[in-house]
Amino acid sequence: MRIPCPYCGERDAHEFSYLGDATLTRPDPAAPDAPDRFFDYVYLRDNPAGAHQEWWYHAYGCRQWVKVERNTLTHAIAGARLARDARDAAGDAAGNVPGDAP
Amino acid sequence: MADHSSHPLDTLPFDAVATAGHYGVAGTLGVTARRIDGLSIATLAARKGDDDALAEAVRGALGLELPRASRAVFAGARTLIGTAPGRWLALSGLDRDIAGTLRAALGPLAAITDQSDAVVTLDLTGPKVADTLAKGALIDLDPRVFLPGMAATTVLAHIGITLWRREEATWRLLVARSFEAALLRFLVSSAAEYGFELDDRG
Ligand SMILES: [Zn+2]
Repeated sequence: MRIPCPYCGERDAHEFSYLGDATLTRPDPAAPDAPDRFFDYVYLRDNPAGAHQEWWYHAYGCRQWVKVERNTLTHAIAGARLARDARDAAGDAAGNVPGDAP
Repeated sequence: MADHSSHPLDTLPFDAVATAGHYGVAGTLGVTARRIDGLSIATLAARKGDDDALAEAVRGALGLELPRASRAVFAGARTLIGTAPGRWLALSGLDRDIAGTLRAALGPLAAITDQSDAVVTLDLTGPKVADTLAKGALIDLDPRVFLPGMAATTVLAHIGITLWRREEATWRLLVARSFEAALLRFLVSSAAEYGFELDDRG
Protein backbone atom coordinates (compact mmCIF):
# COMPACT_ATOMS: atom_id res chain seq x y z
CA MET A 1 0.00 0.00 0.00
CA ARG A 2 1.23 3.47 -0.85
CA ILE A 3 0.18 6.65 0.91
CA PRO A 4 0.32 9.97 -0.97
CA CYS A 5 2.06 12.23 1.54
CA PRO A 6 1.16 15.82 0.64
CA TYR A 7 4.78 16.88 1.19
CA CYS A 8 6.88 13.86 0.19
CA GLY A 9 4.74 12.34 -2.54
CA GLU A 10 3.63 8.74 -2.82
CA ARG A 11 5.40 6.58 -0.23
CA ASP A 12 5.35 2.99 0.90
CA ALA A 13 3.18 2.37 3.97
CA HIS A 14 6.26 1.04 5.79
CA GLU A 15 7.49 4.62 6.11
CA PHE A 16 4.43 5.46 8.21
CA SER A 17 3.07 4.44 11.56
CA TYR A 18 -0.67 4.20 12.14
CA LEU A 19 -2.56 5.99 14.88
CA GLY A 20 -6.18 5.27 13.99
CA ASP A 21 -9.56 6.93 13.62
CA ALA A 22 -9.34 10.54 12.49
CA THR A 23 -13.05 11.24 12.87
CA LEU A 24 -12.96 11.39 16.67
CA THR A 25 -12.78 14.56 18.70
CA ARG A 26 -11.17 14.49 22.11
CA PRO A 27 -13.80 15.35 24.76
CA ASP A 28 -13.50 18.34 27.02
CA PRO A 29 -11.93 17.00 30.23
CA ALA A 30 -13.67 19.77 32.20
CA ALA A 31 -17.17 18.71 31.09
CA PRO A 32 -19.39 17.20 33.82
CA ASP A 33 -19.86 13.99 31.84
CA ALA A 34 -16.18 13.76 30.89
CA PRO A 35 -15.62 10.19 32.28
CA ASP A 36 -18.43 8.77 30.11
CA ARG A 37 -17.30 10.73 27.08
CA PHE A 38 -13.70 9.60 27.51
CA PHE A 39 -14.82 5.97 27.86
CA ASP A 40 -16.56 6.27 24.49
CA TYR A 41 -13.61 8.14 22.97
CA VAL A 42 -10.97 5.66 24.09
CA TYR A 43 -12.75 2.30 23.92
CA LEU A 44 -15.87 2.37 21.75
CA ARG A 45 -14.77 2.38 18.14
CA ASP A 46 -16.60 1.78 14.91
CA ASN A 47 -15.00 -0.66 12.53
CA PRO A 48 -16.21 0.62 9.19
CA ALA A 49 -16.04 -1.55 6.10
CA GLY A 50 -15.41 1.01 3.38
CA ALA A 51 -14.48 4.67 3.47
CA HIS A 52 -12.61 5.73 6.60
CA GLN A 53 -10.47 8.62 7.80
CA GLU A 54 -7.26 7.76 9.58
CA TRP A 55 -4.20 9.38 11.07
CA TRP A 56 -0.85 8.19 9.72
CA TYR A 57 2.49 9.53 10.92
CA HIS A 58 5.19 9.82 8.25
CA ALA A 59 7.97 8.72 10.58
CA TYR A 60 10.62 7.98 7.94
CA GLY A 61 9.83 11.01 5.80
CA CYS A 62 8.67 14.48 6.74
CA ARG A 63 7.59 13.47 10.28
CA GLN A 64 4.19 15.03 9.77
CA TRP A 65 0.78 13.69 10.73
CA VAL A 66 -1.31 12.96 7.66
CA LYS A 67 -5.10 12.58 7.57
CA VAL A 68 -5.75 9.82 5.05
CA GLU A 69 -9.06 8.83 3.46
CA ARG A 70 -8.70 5.08 2.98
CA ASN A 71 -11.17 2.41 1.95
CA THR A 72 -10.70 -0.37 4.49
CA LEU A 73 -11.99 -2.98 2.03
CA THR A 74 -9.87 -2.10 -0.99
CA HIS A 75 -7.05 0.00 0.49
CA ALA A 76 -7.83 2.57 -2.18
CA ILE A 77 -6.84 6.01 -0.93
CA ALA A 78 -9.11 8.87 -1.92
CA GLY A 79 -7.03 11.66 -0.46
CA ALA A 80 -4.52 12.80 2.13
CA ARG A 81 -3.97 16.09 3.89
CA LEU A 82 -1.37 17.25 6.37
CA ALA A 83 -2.93 17.46 9.83
CA ARG A 84 -2.06 21.14 10.02
CA ASP A 85 -3.97 21.80 6.82
CA ALA A 86 -6.87 19.55 7.80
CA ARG A 87 -7.19 21.48 11.03
CA ASP A 88 -7.06 24.83 9.30
CA ALA A 89 -9.53 23.86 6.60
CA ALA A 90 -13.08 25.08 6.88
CA GLY A 91 -15.52 22.30 7.62
CA ASP A 92 -13.27 20.71 10.21
CA ALA A 93 -14.20 23.12 12.92
CA ALA A 94 -13.88 20.38 15.52
CA GLY A 95 -10.17 20.93 15.12
CA ASN A 96 -9.31 17.38 16.06
CA VAL A 97 -5.63 16.73 15.49
CA PRO A 98 -3.55 13.70 16.46
CA GLY A 99 -2.05 15.54 19.41
CA ASP A 100 -5.50 15.40 20.97
CA ALA A 101 -5.43 11.61 21.04
CA PRO A 102 -4.89 9.83 24.35
CA MET B 1 26.30 -18.46 -9.43
CA ALA B 2 28.22 -16.21 -7.12
CA ASP B 3 31.41 -17.47 -5.59
CA HIS B 4 30.43 -17.31 -1.93
CA SER B 5 33.94 -18.08 -0.78
CA SER B 6 34.99 -14.58 -1.79
CA HIS B 7 31.94 -12.46 -1.02
CA PRO B 8 33.05 -8.92 -0.09
CA LEU B 9 30.97 -8.94 3.09
CA ASP B 10 33.11 -11.82 4.41
CA THR B 11 35.93 -9.44 5.13
CA LEU B 12 33.76 -6.67 6.62
CA PRO B 13 33.37 -6.76 10.40
CA PHE B 14 29.86 -6.01 11.68
CA ASP B 15 31.11 -3.66 14.36
CA ALA B 16 33.34 -1.37 12.32
CA VAL B 17 32.94 1.09 9.47
CA ALA B 18 34.21 -0.31 6.16
CA THR B 19 37.69 0.84 5.27
CA ALA B 20 38.70 2.47 2.00
CA GLY B 21 39.32 0.19 -0.90
CA HIS B 22 37.86 -1.66 -3.86
CA TYR B 23 35.12 -4.19 -3.22
CA GLY B 24 33.46 -6.77 -5.42
CA VAL B 25 34.16 -7.31 -9.09
CA ALA B 26 37.71 -6.32 -9.95
CA GLY B 27 38.64 -4.21 -12.93
CA THR B 28 35.35 -2.26 -13.16
CA LEU B 29 33.93 0.67 -11.26
CA GLY B 30 30.15 0.96 -11.08
CA VAL B 31 29.88 3.05 -7.94
CA THR B 32 32.25 5.20 -5.94
CA ALA B 33 31.28 6.35 -2.45
CA ARG B 34 33.22 9.17 -0.91
CA ARG B 35 32.76 10.37 2.64
CA ILE B 36 32.61 14.16 2.70
CA ASP B 37 34.31 15.41 5.84
CA GLY B 38 34.40 18.94 7.13
CA LEU B 39 30.88 19.99 6.17
CA SER B 40 29.05 22.20 8.61
CA ILE B 41 25.44 21.03 8.83
CA ALA B 42 22.36 22.38 10.61
CA THR B 43 18.63 21.89 10.69
CA LEU B 44 16.42 24.90 10.34
CA ALA B 45 12.83 24.94 11.62
CA ALA B 46 10.59 27.94 10.94
CA ARG B 47 8.85 29.36 13.94
CA LYS B 48 5.21 30.18 13.46
CA GLY B 49 4.95 33.57 11.90
CA ASP B 50 6.49 35.31 9.02
CA ASP B 51 7.52 32.85 6.30
CA ASP B 52 8.37 35.65 3.88
CA ALA B 53 10.71 37.30 6.39
CA LEU B 54 12.43 33.96 6.95
CA ALA B 55 12.87 33.37 3.22
CA GLU B 56 14.26 36.90 2.87
CA ALA B 57 16.72 36.42 5.74
CA VAL B 58 17.93 33.08 4.37
CA ARG B 59 18.36 34.65 0.94
CA GLY B 60 20.51 37.34 2.53
CA ALA B 61 22.58 34.94 4.63
CA LEU B 62 23.20 32.10 2.17
CA GLY B 63 22.25 33.44 -1.25
CA LEU B 64 19.73 30.61 -1.55
CA GLU B 65 15.98 30.41 -2.00
CA LEU B 66 14.25 28.26 0.65
CA PRO B 67 12.75 25.32 -1.25
CA ARG B 68 9.00 24.98 -0.57
CA ALA B 69 9.09 21.29 -1.43
CA SER B 70 11.32 18.25 -1.07
CA ARG B 71 14.07 19.69 -3.23
CA ALA B 72 17.73 20.67 -2.98
CA VAL B 73 19.13 24.03 -4.05
CA PHE B 74 22.80 24.90 -4.38
CA ALA B 75 24.96 27.99 -4.39
CA GLY B 76 28.68 27.30 -4.46
CA ALA B 77 29.54 25.16 -1.44
CA ARG B 78 26.18 25.76 0.24
CA THR B 79 23.15 23.51 -0.02
CA LEU B 80 19.60 23.81 1.29
CA ILE B 81 17.25 20.83 1.32
CA GLY B 82 13.55 20.78 2.12
CA THR B 83 12.81 17.96 4.56
CA ALA B 84 9.30 18.86 5.77
CA PRO B 85 6.90 21.82 5.75
CA GLY B 86 8.84 24.62 7.45
CA ARG B 87 11.96 22.47 7.87
CA TRP B 88 15.23 22.43 6.02
CA LEU B 89 18.75 21.07 6.15
CA ALA B 90 21.59 23.46 5.50
CA LEU B 91 25.03 22.16 4.52
CA SER B 92 28.11 24.21 3.91
CA GLY B 93 31.69 23.54 2.95
CA LEU B 94 32.28 27.27 3.19
CA ASP B 95 31.08 28.30 6.65
CA ARG B 96 32.95 26.88 9.63
CA ASP B 97 29.74 27.10 11.66
CA ILE B 98 26.62 27.21 9.50
CA ALA B 99 24.40 26.97 12.60
CA GLY B 100 26.05 30.10 14.02
CA THR B 101 25.81 31.89 10.68
CA LEU B 102 22.09 31.12 10.45
CA ARG B 103 21.39 31.92 14.07
CA ALA B 104 22.99 35.34 13.69
CA ALA B 105 21.11 36.06 10.48
CA LEU B 106 17.68 34.65 11.34
CA GLY B 107 17.32 35.55 15.00
CA PRO B 108 13.88 34.52 16.25
CA LEU B 109 12.53 33.50 12.82
CA ALA B 110 13.75 29.89 13.07
CA ALA B 111 15.13 27.29 15.45
CA ILE B 112 18.62 26.22 14.38
CA THR B 113 20.33 23.02 15.50
CA ASP B 114 23.89 21.99 14.66
CA GLN B 115 24.04 18.52 13.08
CA SER B 116 27.65 18.50 11.85
CA ASP B 117 28.71 15.52 13.99
CA ALA B 118 25.33 13.78 14.01
CA VAL B 119 25.33 12.74 10.37
CA VAL B 120 27.71 11.37 7.78
CA THR B 121 27.61 12.69 4.23
CA LEU B 122 28.38 10.36 1.33
CA ASP B 123 28.88 11.30 -2.30
CA LEU B 124 27.88 8.56 -4.71
CA THR B 125 29.08 8.67 -8.29
CA GLY B 126 29.31 6.25 -11.16
CA PRO B 127 27.05 4.65 -13.77
CA LYS B 128 25.45 2.15 -11.35
CA VAL B 129 24.38 4.42 -8.46
CA ALA B 130 20.66 4.22 -9.24
CA ASP B 131 20.77 0.44 -9.73
CA THR B 132 22.55 0.05 -6.40
CA LEU B 133 20.19 2.30 -4.46
CA ALA B 134 17.17 0.60 -6.03
CA LYS B 135 18.05 -2.58 -4.15
CA GLY B 136 17.23 -0.93 -0.83
CA ALA B 137 14.94 1.97 -1.66
CA LEU B 138 11.16 2.24 -1.37
CA ILE B 139 10.88 5.11 -3.85
CA ASP B 140 11.50 5.35 -7.58
CA LEU B 141 15.11 6.43 -8.07
CA ASP B 142 15.20 5.86 -11.81
CA PRO B 143 17.44 8.69 -13.12
CA ARG B 144 14.59 9.72 -15.45
CA VAL B 145 12.27 10.15 -12.45
CA PHE B 146 14.50 11.31 -9.63
CA LEU B 147 16.04 14.27 -11.40
CA PRO B 148 18.95 16.51 -10.37
CA GLY B 149 17.71 18.89 -7.69
CA MET B 150 15.22 16.41 -6.27
CA ALA B 151 15.54 15.33 -2.66
CA ALA B 152 13.87 12.72 -0.47
CA THR B 153 13.88 11.90 3.20
CA THR B 154 13.17 8.20 3.10
CA VAL B 155 14.42 4.69 3.88
CA LEU B 156 17.36 2.84 2.35
CA ALA B 157 17.90 -0.75 3.48
CA HIS B 158 15.65 -0.02 6.49
CA ILE B 159 17.83 2.93 7.44
CA GLY B 160 16.52 6.50 7.48
CA ILE B 161 18.36 8.78 5.06
CA THR B 162 18.06 12.09 3.27
CA LEU B 163 19.05 11.67 -0.36
CA TRP B 164 19.42 14.19 -3.12
CA ARG B 165 20.75 14.27 -6.63
CA ARG B 166 23.27 17.04 -6.91
CA GLU B 167 24.12 16.72 -10.55
CA GLU B 168 23.43 14.34 -13.40
CA ALA B 169 26.05 11.87 -12.11
CA THR B 170 26.38 12.85 -8.45
CA TRP B 171 24.08 11.65 -5.72
CA ARG B 172 24.57 12.60 -2.12
CA LEU B 173 23.07 11.20 1.05
CA LEU B 174 23.02 11.89 4.76
CA VAL B 175 22.77 9.13 7.33
CA ALA B 176 22.92 9.22 11.11
CA ARG B 177 26.53 8.56 12.13
CA SER B 178 25.60 5.49 14.18
CA PHE B 179 24.15 3.88 11.04
CA GLU B 180 27.20 4.50 8.88
CA ALA B 181 28.63 1.00 9.26
CA ALA B 182 25.29 -0.64 8.40
CA LEU B 183 24.70 1.62 5.41
CA LEU B 184 28.18 0.95 4.05
CA ARG B 185 27.58 -2.79 4.38
CA PHE B 186 24.51 -2.32 2.22
CA LEU B 187 26.48 -0.33 -0.35
CA VAL B 188 29.35 -2.83 -0.42
CA SER B 189 27.08 -5.83 -0.88
CA SER B 190 24.72 -4.13 -3.34
CA ALA B 191 27.38 -2.52 -5.52
CA ALA B 192 29.81 -5.47 -5.43
CA GLU B 193 28.51 -6.88 -8.71
CA TYR B 194 29.28 -3.58 -10.46
CA GLY B 195 32.63 -2.94 -8.74
CA PHE B 196 32.56 -0.62 -5.73
CA GLU B 197 35.16 1.82 -4.49
CA LEU B 198 35.03 3.33 -1.03
CA ASP B 199 37.09 6.48 -0.69
CA ASP B 200 37.31 7.93 2.79
CA ARG B 201 39.85 10.62 2.14
CA GLY B 202 37.19 13.29 2.68
ZN1 LIG C 1 5.87 12.98 4.26
